[in-house]
Amino acid sequence: MAEFFLSQTGFIVLFVIFALGAIASMIARRSDSDANMLGNGFAIIGSLWGALFGGFALISANQTMNFAFTIPFSPLPALTFSVDKLSAFFILLISSVAFLASIYALDYVKHFYKKYSIGALGFFYNLFIASMLLVVTSSNAIMFLTAWELMSLTSYFLVVYDRAESKNTQAGLQYFAMMQIGTIFVAAVFVILYSFTGSTNFSEIRAAAANIPTLWQGIIFAAALLGFGMKSGIVPLHIWLPDAHPAAPSHVSALMSGVMIKTGIYMLMRVLLDFFQAPPVWWGVVILAVGAISALLGVLYALTEHNIKRLLAYHSIENIGIILLGLGSALVFSSLHMPALATVAIIASLFHTLNHAIFKSLLFLGAGSVISQTHTANIEEYGGLARTMPYTAFFFLIGSMAISALPPFNGFFSEWLTFQSLFAGILNNTNGMMLQWAFLIAGGALALTGGLALACFVKAFGVTFLARPRSTHAQHAHESGIFMQIGMGALALSALLLGVFSGAVTGVLQSVGATFFPISSAVAPALSANTSAISLQNGFAFVSGINLFLLMLIAILSTVIASAYVVYRKQRIIEGTTWDCGTPATPRMELTATGFSRTIITIFKAVLRPRLHISTTYKYGESYMPLSRSAEFSVTDIFRSYCYEPVSSFALGASAQIKKIQSGNINAYFLYTFIALIGILCITTL
Amino acid sequence: MTSTFAIIAQLLLVPALSPLFIGIIRKIKARMQNRHGASIFQPYRDLNKLFHKDEIISSDATFIFRIAPYMVFAVTLVVAISIPIITTFIPHFGTSDLLAVMYMLAFGTFFLALGGIDVGGPFGGFGASREMTISALAEGGLIFSLFAVSCMAGTTDLLSIPHALLAYGSTATLATVLAFFGFCVALLAENMRFPFDNPSTHLELTMVHEAMIIEYSGKRLALMEWASANKLFIFIALGANMFFPYGIAASADLSAVIISLGILLAKALLFCIAIAVIESTTAKLRLFRLPDLLFLSFIASSLAIIFTI
Amino acid sequence: MTLSLTYFLISLFFFTTISMHAVRKNAILVVLYAVQSLAVVLLLMYGAWLDQSIILSIVALFALLVKTTLIPRFFGMLISKNLITFSSSTYLKLPITALIVAGLAVLPSTHVFAPLLAIAPQHAHEIAFSLGAFFISCFMLVNRRDGMSQMIGLLSLENSIVAFAFFAGLEQSAMLQIGIIFDVLVWVFIATLLASLAYKQFGTLDTDTMRHLTE
Repeated sequence: MAEFFLSQTGFIVLFVIFALGAIASMIARRSDSDANMLGNGFAIIGSLWGALFGGFALISANQTMNFAFTIPFSPLPALTFSVDKLSAFFILLISSVAFLASIYALDYVKHFYKKYSIGALGFFYNLFIASMLLVVTSSNAIMFLTAWELMSLTSYFLVVYDRAESKNTQAGLQYFAMMQIGTIFVAAVFVILYSFTGSTNFSEIRAAAANIPTLWQGIIFAAALLGFGMKSGIVPLHIWLPDAHPAAPSHVSALMSGVMIKTGIYMLMRVLLDFFQAPPVWWGVVILAVGAISALLGVLYALTEHNIKRLLAYHSIENIGIILLGLGSALVFSSLHMPALATVAIIASLFHTLNHAIFKSLLFLGAGSVISQTHTANIEEYGGLARTMPYTAFFFLIGSMAISALPPFNGFFSEWLTFQSLFAGILNNTNGMMLQWAFLIAGGALALTGGLALACFVKAFGVTFLARPRSTHAQHAHESGIFMQIGMGALALSALLLGVFSGAVTGVLQSVGATFFPISSAVAPALSANTSAISLQNGFAFVSGINLFLLMLIAILSTVIASAYVVYRKQRIIEGTTWDCGTPATPRMELTATGFSRTIITIFKAVLRPRLHISTTYKYGESYMPLSRSAEFSVTDIFRSYCYEPVSSFALGASAQIKKIQSGNINAYFLYTFIALIGILCITTL
Repeated sequence: MTSTFAIIAQLLLVPALSPLFIGIIRKIKARMQNRHGASIFQPYRDLNKLFHKDEIISSDATFIFRIAPYMVFAVTLVVAISIPIITTFIPHFGTSDLLAVMYMLAFGTFFLALGGIDVGGPFGGFGASREMTISALAEGGLIFSLFAVSCMAGTTDLLSIPHALLAYGSTATLATVLAFFGFCVALLAENMRFPFDNPSTHLELTMVHEAMIIEYSGKRLALMEWASANKLFIFIALGANMFFPYGIAASADLSAVIISLGILLAKALLFCIAIAVIESTTAKLRLFRLPDLLFLSFIASSLAIIFTI
Repeated sequence: MTLSLTYFLISLFFFTTISMHAVRKNAILVVLYAVQSLAVVLLLMYGAWLDQSIILSIVALFALLVKTTLIPRFFGMLISKNLITFSSSTYLKLPITALIVAGLAVLPSTHVFAPLLAIAPQHAHEIAFSLGAFFISCFMLVNRRDGMSQMIGLLSLENSIVAFAFFAGLEQSAMLQIGIIFDVLVWVFIATLLASLAYKQFGTLDTDTMRHLTE
């Protein structure tokens, strides 16, 4: 079975399925339901195949598989792919999430019937998943850049799919522009690598990368961080993320947020950890700093948002920050020649990547269900949805608990591992105080982020699903379709299982970590994990997923039984109304999302810069007897006003100046051509 | 076998003793206000009364309201058997890691806040908002203060810290004091005591915890109040055993356990006196002054770590 | 003898190109263009005779027909229909125009263009003349405001390129010449059409006034 999947045919079949899905979807575009069935059906089959492929490669393959395809009659070089443990892990990640998102999409896409072309959606969706799989398996720079661009292009079309709203098309344009800028940096990385190593193949680059001079290594690092970071959404390159993710259809948002931004992380790991075996220490510290800032700012901006999808998008930025904290620690430990600790850190980073993919997709799918029922993304108009959509509420609750790192779900264990790697860095007093302080600050940022994320999800879940409905749409919402429930339910179940069996997952990830940091038998591994528990070196720390889950379950059950049946059985439960001080309770008495986060925004006003603008219109003239008042509370996006606005106004100003040579006069244009011609002739003959 | 006894004893001890400490605090406060005050066993009578009352549940409430009290109470039970209270000789379930304990308590806070929002009344909403703000900012100081102690002890497993600290000696007193200060501020914040919250008020200007549980009645209210009492006891036990672990039993030997219980009660009494004195002499701080205090706790804990490493 | 024939033709070519800058009446401009084209066609015929190629001579005859009769007739029709007898003024005054023309005439003989002249050293002078004519035609495009003059200038530019190719010893293929002629013919059709339309719309072919095309 494993051999069947892990062969060249298995690999080709994977992409052929997606290609078939794309083509079939386009052919069937006249009939919406057929296109939906074909497009999503092939995506489901393809992702299942990919998940099996990745799973087998991760668990049973012992060495890297290399595939090379030559296209006959073409001058192009052979297309090479390689699947090592890291690629296998990412293939598994991409395919599992795509599988469940496609199941969800079977019901969700029905909301787009008769409005837009479902065939086009299926086409781009299949190509998108296929391009992501290509990105994580390419082992040649040209192939990689092609796959990268394909991924950006197909996701652009998916982002602008709902083109009736102008803000979606604007978001798509901004996304596309920023992706192209990011690709420039990515291409620069590979150009520099090529010029020094003379090859575009990853394996040859890996062999020769140590000979690159230090200055150029630093430039490669900066370009890689900028290019791949822009795709991942690190601060301050994150501007496209909160606009683009809400614009796409929800199952695509789930894929983009859960999986696509992780390809940036994959390439960062590949370039920084795999190519360069002994990176300098400052690389790790920079990534730690970037991670800490992204995490904090992501969660702070998430607290200010009322659009549920933008809120989730900012949380993606926060979680990428946490993943980068793990990656930064791994880089630091790797430069300090501590492979055991570096393995722990990289396992933390990879585990959080997996976990975030699962629970972020779950949350986006839940948000999609809610939005499709209430026709708005503004959480101030939700409320009471737990009564009409109980399953969605339950799955969203599990997602919220997972993302806030509450045990026994999976988020807790990956944050635990990240904390432990940061703690190990703090305690490592052999390389100077500054490094310890860097880890300390990162640890503080992580602790603060965890608390703020919890607050944000209390707000998100509470305002959306609890209390009374705040609008008529919310009153008349129904439960989501069966496929949507299956998709969300499977993700919720995986969140729980990944948490409970975190020991087993960590064991598998250890083999992935071993590809980067081969641990010789003389050095004891810092982490040991079996099915039930993870423990760190010398008894420093020890946590058990199964026991946490079982104990909590037993405690809850015993409390319920004792309280309901043992203590006093004759209690009656009467239904009444909420205490409303005598006036009838209206939805306006409830908590608003703005009110909830106002306190925290005011506390962090140095960073968030809230503005309160109150305007009054009077009955007579400028004063006396106000007619109406309006208050607007907003938060300035400091990145837009301090980073992007100056750059774009400079660019526009420079262009306006250059535009002056366009006088509209034909003779002037002839003159320019003439001068250019003589000039070129003179210069070339010199 | 003996360790199983120890764990059952701990499991029963925490819910059994926690209302007593609430009673003691109230008695001391009453005495400082020149009143006789209720008996120190009054909270037991209150819980008994509440368990026998009927409940009224709002029609606006969803399933969260109904399950929240069980979640909050169950979490305190799980934490109770994971931390050293009278002895460190209990089975290691893998739930006694520093972060596991902190995040389990956060689990309880999560459901507490959601239960407050669920009824759709104005009090629950702002109570949840204030609680989450305070809790978010306090978590940093709390984790770091316990981490400072872990640095000294060389492990984050809470069950192993007391004896490792005893072996560490008294060379790091400054760090311990700083970390203890940070921990105490976090204790007051998480348990909704002065100067963060007034536990005996129902004015919307000042209440935080009471706002979230204002709609509960009957058994659910009993569980909520008992859970907050448990949480206070857990924090007191942590403060006593992590920072000044003198006297804790290392085995399940009966005499050692009883001595350790006595020492714990004495330390807890000191804590109660301190809390009661703070509550009687200081005023509750304005909400926007609280972050300064919490950041101070965080900085104190960070300094403690820096002095240790 | 042969040497002086080509020399004579190219001098005639050059002289007509320069004179185009000096004239004001459109009719004379067209005549000058016809003479210029005649010179180029004679050069082509001479090349055909040298190569003893029938095809080339037929093509050269065809070029004669098109360039010296057909195109001037088109332009004549355009001029008489629209009564554009005089070209409008230039940007630069006549003395400065003459100065620049002189400079451009000398430019190909400088060392800057020596590599180009070295392509066929025995025809160095002729190449220099062709290049000079090329630059001068370009300058006419720049300098003249009138649409008519610009069309003539473009056509003389094309002529100078053909002359340059001839002298540089580049491949004299029949298809090339046919292609060039066809291209020129079609261009002239379209240009006259556009010119008459523009004249109807704007009342003038002065490019300076034709800035706002969207109105």
